[in-house]
Amino acid sequence: MLAQCTMDLLFYYRSLGLSLVIEVKDKAIFYADFITAILIRAIGQLLQVADIQSLKSLGASKFSKTSENFPAGDIAALVYLWNPLTIITCLGYSTSPIENLMIVLSLYGACRRLVPLAAFGLVMASHLSLYPVILIIPLVLLIGSGLDTPPRKLFLQPNHGDGYKKTNFSWRRVVLFFLWASVWALYVLVLCSISLKEYSGLGEMFKRTYGFILSVEDLSPNIGVLWYFFAEVFDFFRDFFLIVFHINILFMVLPLAIRLHHRPCFLAFVYIAISSILKSYPSVGDSALYLGLLGLFVNALADMQFSFFLFSGYLGTLLLSPVMHNLWIWRGTGNANFYFATAMAYACFQIILVVESVSSMLNHDRALKKGATPVAKKIQ
Amino acid sequence: MRNREINNFLILTTLLVITLSLSSSSITHAAVHTNNWAVLVCTSRFWFNYRHMANTLSLYRTVKRLGIPDERIILMLADDMACNARNKYPAQVFNNENHRLNLYGDNVEVDYRGYEVTVENFLRVLTGRHENAVPRSKRLLSDEGSHILLYMTGHGGDEFLKFQDSEELQSHDLADAVKQMKEKRRFKELLIMVDTCQAATLFSQLQSPGVLAIGSSMKGENSYSHHLDSDVGVSVVDRFTFYTLAFFERLNMYDNASLSSLFSSFNPNLLMSTAYYRTDLYQEQVEKVPVTNFFGSVMKTIHTDSAYRGTSGKDSSRVKYDVISGQSDDVDARRMTSSDPEKQGDHPDIKLVKGGGCPHADWWNAIVEKFQGIKNGDMIVNYGLVGMLTLVAVSTWQSS
Repeated sequence: MLAQCTMDLLFYYRSLGLSLVIEVKDKAIFYADFITAILIRAIGQLLQVADIQSLKSLGASKFSKTSENFPAGDIAALVYLWNPLTIITCLGYSTSPIENLMIVLSLYGACRRLVPLAAFGLVMASHLSLYPVILIIPLVLLIGSGLDTPPRKLFLQPNHGDGYKKTNFSWRRVVLFFLWASVWALYVLVLCSISLKEYSGLGEMFKRTYGFILSVEDLSPNIGVLWYFFAEVFDFFRDFFLIVFHINILFMVLPLAIRLHHRPCFLAFVYIAISSILKSYPSVGDSALYLGLLGLFVNALADMQFSFFLFSGYLGTLLLSPVMHNLWIWRGTGNANFYFATAMAYACFQIILVVESVSSMLNHDRALKKGATPVAKKIQ
Repeated sequence: MRNREINNFLILTTLLVITLSLSSSSITHAAVHTNNWAVLVCTSRFWFNYRHMANTLSLYRTVKRLGIPDERIILMLADDMACNARNKYPAQVFNNENHRLNLYGDNVEVDYRGYEVTVENFLRVLTGRHENAVPRSKRLLSDEGSHILLYMTGHGGDEFLKFQDSEELQSHDLADAVKQMKEKRRFKELLIMVDTCQAATLFSQLQSPGVLAIGSSMKGENSYSHHLDSDVGVSVVDRFTFYTLAFFERLNMYDNASLSSLFSSFNPNLLMSTAYYRTDLYQEQVEKVPVTNFFGSVMKTIHTDSAYRGTSGKDSSRVKYDVISGQSDDVDARRMTSSDPEKQGDHPDIKLVKGGGCPHADWWNAIVEKFQGIKNGDMIVNYGLVGMLTLVAVSTWQSS
C-alpha cells in the first residue's frame, strides 16, 4: 500500500515537472511517455500474475513466497519515467517516445491477447523505424503460447506439477494476427500514398526511410558505431560491410528465439536491446526503452553479475560522451577518436548488459529446475 | 544472283537513309528564357592597366545592380589594383576622377583572380569542361534557357586578345568555344561585348546562331581611355565602357530600353573609334529586345495550379500554367493546357490498366481516377488517422 502511494506520487511529480517545461503543442510526446509507462506497468502486472501461476503449478510456490517479490511492473514503469535518457529525449522533442509507445503497445496487446492492438503496434513501430519488425517473433510467440513461463520440460517432470494444463499453440490467433497486421499495413500505406501524392509517392518514401536506414548514407557522428567505420571503408567494400552489419542483427534472431522461446517477453526485451545497439542510427531513446523493460524482470535477474559495474559504466559513458563531442566539434581540441571511444565503450556496456541478463535468466531457469529447494543466494 | 544482290543493296540503302533521316531530325523545342549569366573578364594585370579592372568592376556593379546575383556572375580579374603598393587609396578602385563610386566595395566576389585568369581557364569556363575539383562558384552552370553576357576588356589586336601579358586568345578559339557551347546547349542567347583595340576582329569568326556581338573599335582602330585621374595617377576608365555605363546609370531593373538604343548611343566622335556590332547571327530584332535580357535579371513568373513536384521529372508537360511577364511588351501571356491523352498516374505505383474487356479493369480505373482527383490530401490523411485510431479502439474492445 505504501509502495503504491509512493509510486503514484512519483508518477505525479514527473508529470508535473515536465508539464511545466514543455509547451502545450509538444505535449503529445510527453503523453506518449506517460502512456508507455502505464502500459509497461500493466505488462509487469500481467507478467507477475503469470509467474506466480506457473510457479504454483510447478509446485515451487514456496519459492515465490520466500523470495523478495518486487512489484516488477511499478519498478519498470518508474525506471522508464525517471530515466534521465527518457527525460532527455522528451525534452529534445525527438520522436523516439512515439516509437517506444508503439513497441510497448504491441507488447501489451500481445500479452493481453488483443490481436488487433498488437498488430497495430507492430505495424506502426516498423513503419516509424525499420527494426521493430524483428519483434514479430516474440509477438507471435506471445499470442500463440502466452506469457513468460519456465521451460516446458519442467512441467513434464512427474514429481512436479499438479493440475498443469498443457496449452497448445493457438494457430488461429496467429493467423488472425497476420491478417490484422496486413490490414493495418494496407491502411497505413494508403494514407501515406495519399499524403505523398505530390511528392512522387511511395517508392520515394521507401527509398528515403527504409533505404536511408539500410544504406547509411549520412555519416554524422552519433552514439552508435557505424558512422566511424563507414567513413573510412572503401567504396568497393561498402556494400559488403553494409550487409555484414545488418546481418549482425539478423543472425542473432533465430538462436535467441530457439533458446528463449518459452519467455517471449524477455525475448522481446533482448531483441530491442540488440537492435538498439547495432542499428544504423541509434539514440538514447532506444536505450531508454530497454532499460525500462529491464525492470520488468527484476525478480528473475536479481542476481545478475556486474550490475554495479554496468551501472557506473553507463553513467560514466553517458556523461563523458557529450564532453568528448564538445571537445571534438566545438573546441577543436579533441578529435573523432575521443568521441568514438565513448561510443564504443557505450556499445560494450550495452552488450555486457544484454549478455549478463540473458545468462542470469537462464541461470534462473536452471535454478527452478533444481526444484522446490529455494536457492540459498536468492534470500540475502 | 545479281538481282538479289541489287535488291539487298537497295534495301540496305533505304534503311540507312531512313535511320539517318530519323537521327538527324532534331527535335527543336523552343527553350524558355529562364536565367541570365554574366562572364566578365579583365585580361590585363599591372598598375598601368588600372582602367581595364575599373571597366570590369563597373560592369560588375551595373549587372549586379540590375539584378544578376553573384552566383550567376563569373568575374575574372587580375585583382592587383586595389591593394597595389602604388594605390594611393588602398582597397578602393574608382572609375571616375570624382571618386564618387568605390567599385571595390565589400561585396565583390572575384571567381578567378591573379594568375588564374588564363586562356585555358577562360575556355574551360565557357565550355564547362573543368577538372572534378573545381568548385561550383567557378563554373558557368548555364543551361539552354540562359542568356549570357560575355564582357572582355584588355589589350587586343587583329584577331587576338592578350591575356595577362603572356598569352593570347585568338578569334577562332573564341568562335570554337562558342560553337561548343551551342552544341552543348549552354546558352539560348549570347551577347559578347569587347572593349579593346581592334575589338571587332575578335568576333569575326563566330558562326553560331543566337550570338550578338559588339566591339568598341573596328580593324585598324584603337580604343582609347576616357580620362586620366591625376590623383590616382593612371587612366581610370575606357571610353566605350564609360559611355556604356552612362547609358545604364539612367536605368533601373524595370526599364525596357532596347538593345538598339544601347548600340545607337555610341557616338563615334566621342568614342574616337567606331563601335561595331554584328547582328547577323541573332534571330531576334534588336529594337525589340530589352537590355535587361542580358544586363539584368528579370524573371518571368509562371503560375501553376498544383504544387511543385519534387523529383519526378516527367510532370512539366502535364501542368497547366500561365506565363505572366512583367514588363516586356512583346511576350504575350500564353496558356498551355495538359494535352496528355493517356492520362498516366501521378506516381509510378498505380498505373491505369487498359481495359481489354476485363471488368475489373474498369472498376480499378475508376478507383485510380478518384484517387488522382483528390486535391486536399492533408485533410483526408488527418481523417484517416483519426479513423485508424477509432478502428484500433473498437477492434480492441471487440476482441477483449
